[in-house]
Amino acid sequence: MDPMHGRMREQPKLAGPTSYERIVLKNPSEHHYMKVQLEFNGEGAQLSATQFKLLVVSALKNLHGEVGSSLPLDLLSFDEKTLCAVLRVCSRGLVKLWSSLTLLGHYKNHECSIRVIQTSPFLLALAGNSRELDLE
Amino acid sequence: MLRGLEACPRHLLVCEKSSFLHEKSRHSALVQSHYYNCSVSLLLPECASLPEHIKRTVDNFGRYYLVRNLPLHEFVKEDFINTFVKKGAFYALTYRTRIDQDNSAALLPTGKLILSVDKDTYEELGLQGKPSLYSGKNPLRYIIKIDLTEEGLAPGGKKFQRLNWAFTEKKPLKCDFLLAWDNTGAPSILSYFCKYTVKECNFKITSRISRDLPCPVLKSGDLHGKPEESCSSEELFDWLGAVSNSIDCDNDSSNFISAFCCPHPNTMVERAHLCTINGFVTPENIQRLLDQLREYFAEPKLTQWVSLIVHGFADSPVSWKECEHGFFKGGENLYSVVVFNNQDYWLQMAVGTHDGCPP
Amino acid sequence: MRFKSRYLLCELVLEDPRWRQNISQGTVVYNVREAIARTHGDFGAAACAVSLSVKYLNVYTGVLLLRCRKDFYQLLWSSLPFITSLDNRGQRIPCFINTLHVGGTIRTCQKFLIQYNKNQLLQLMKNCTNAAEKEAIRQSLQSCSLKSLEEPEFVLSKNEENE
Repeated sequence: MDPMHGRMREQPKLAGPTSYERIVLKNPSEHHYMKVQLEFNGEGAQLSATQFKLLVVSALKNLHGEVGSSLPLDLLSFDEKTLCAVLRVCSRGLVKLWSSLTLLGHYKNHECSIRVIQTSPFLLALAGNSRELDLE
Repeated sequence: MLRGLEACPRHLLVCEKSSFLHEKSRHSALVQSHYYNCSVSLLLPECASLPEHIKRTVDNFGRYYLVRNLPLHEFVKEDFINTFVKKGAFYALTYRTRIDQDNSAALLPTGKLILSVDKDTYEELGLQGKPSLYSGKNPLRYIIKIDLTEEGLAPGGKKFQRLNWAFTEKKPLKCDFLLAWDNTGAPSILSYFCKYTVKECNFKITSRISRDLPCPVLKSGDLHGKPEESCSSEELFDWLGAVSNSIDCDNDSSNFISAFCCPHPNTMVERAHLCTINGFVTPENIQRLLDQLREYFAEPKLTQWVSLIVHGFADSPVSWKECEHGFFKGGENLYSVVVFNNQDYWLQMAVGTHDGCPP
Repeated sequence: MRFKSRYLLCELVLEDPRWRQNISQGTVVYNVREAIARTHGDFGAAACAVSLSVKYLNVYTGVLLLRCRKDFYQLLWSSLPFITSLDNRGQRIPCFINTLHVGGTIRTCQKFLIQYNKNQLLQLMKNCTNAAEKEAIRQSLQSCSLKSLEEPEFVLSKNEENE
């Protein structure tokens, strides 16, 4: 039995303990989240968050046209030093976004590529990546 | 083809509400059966520094070990089984192996050794296993389960000899292993595995305080939430992600960069403390932390709730209990416990594509 | 296995019907391709490039039959509304394309077209002013029955004459 059980019971309670309830949600997430990093071949360029978003949208427009570039897409965070970004896209646009990021090759005459570090339907999952656990 | 362009991988989110005071409350069973955890986070709204009793628990997490090139036959030795497996919870998991391409193994605290191997290795090993649930018609991955505490696995027995022969002669598998052992009185891992390169690892603890954070309003009795009254469990889960990734939630809908918002209704919180512990965390440690979080509300606090977030290993062969886990587009298996000040709790468990439904 | 196609039966509506005579199948294909590339990008253009063709274009009625692979006809279908002008040897001809029917074979499209034209004729009959016109329409209505599908070429040309 719970060792803390007795002590807790003495506390004044606001209401009776809640009844048990369980909900199973299948594919609940409307959005998918992607953690990506922009890499330059050789000397790179400085980007602001707005420029990065524009780069992603133009990549979408190149590969998937106006339909692709109008997908609901958010740049949740962008680190100007490491060029790491977290993108949010509606679930049906995940494949389109991923494919356009793959085919992205240039930014202002600099050769570049985008590395997808992690992707998940849960934003929380991006906070803990066991593959980044570094013990060296 | 065109449908594939819009498809998204399957995922599950299970939300539960209950109270710690219920006799049948499953919270500790669920925490205890999520064996491999790579990071634990505590989110305490309206808290400037970690309370002393929680800090002490975190500092007492102990250590875990990284052993290089450990042959698998070490786990089926009689000596090992008697000193470790039968004397408490011993955790082992392969390190830096990717479950979608490499061979990986895990030793559960129940004494079961689970191997997830590719087809070639499986055929070379010659041990009995089952094709992976997520490998389709032509299985390229097999799961082998060996119960080390089984009666039939007595030393000298036929089964024992075959196991030893498979791991030493037939196919000597070697991996880097993460080891954890909660029984401090027993001989230490360092001295037992002195033949190999063993590294003692400490947990990496990071703290961050976010200021002026919009924080969703929750009602412990209402998991679904009501418009204008309280937020649902799903919305909270999303928001927890935003806080953990330090994402700005204060955007308007016309913003070009992001239109991400905190769920409604919300209140402004002056500060929130996020403490993250990275490493090979055992369920026992998480259980202790959860108990301390319940005690947090012994004194009156400004906040209504605190949250505990636990991330599993993306490349572990199991998620909860012996439920098979795989890596498709992401190997997420995580859960979060929201502890309310009236001893209610919400539990949210999320898994990705190659995973069964959490228990 | 044979490759399955989808046929889109469309109506090309020009601002000035006199321009119709100048439009060739090549012009239409070129403009449709451009529209797909604009709305669905490189991916859409490449996906539809295989076997995209104009099977039939009637310069008198503006009826147009487009063929596309079954897998990707939705890309073609969704970009048709975005065509607002045809680029014809340097000239811009304002127009729009109405999709009348989507079928799996040319035959079903043809059946639909006959039915459609019949309905159009009935509409015309309601608006007739004199008896001679009415008689002409009645005659052409009789000629376009489903029975005469055996000679589809004949029916189609008959309908055209009535325009």
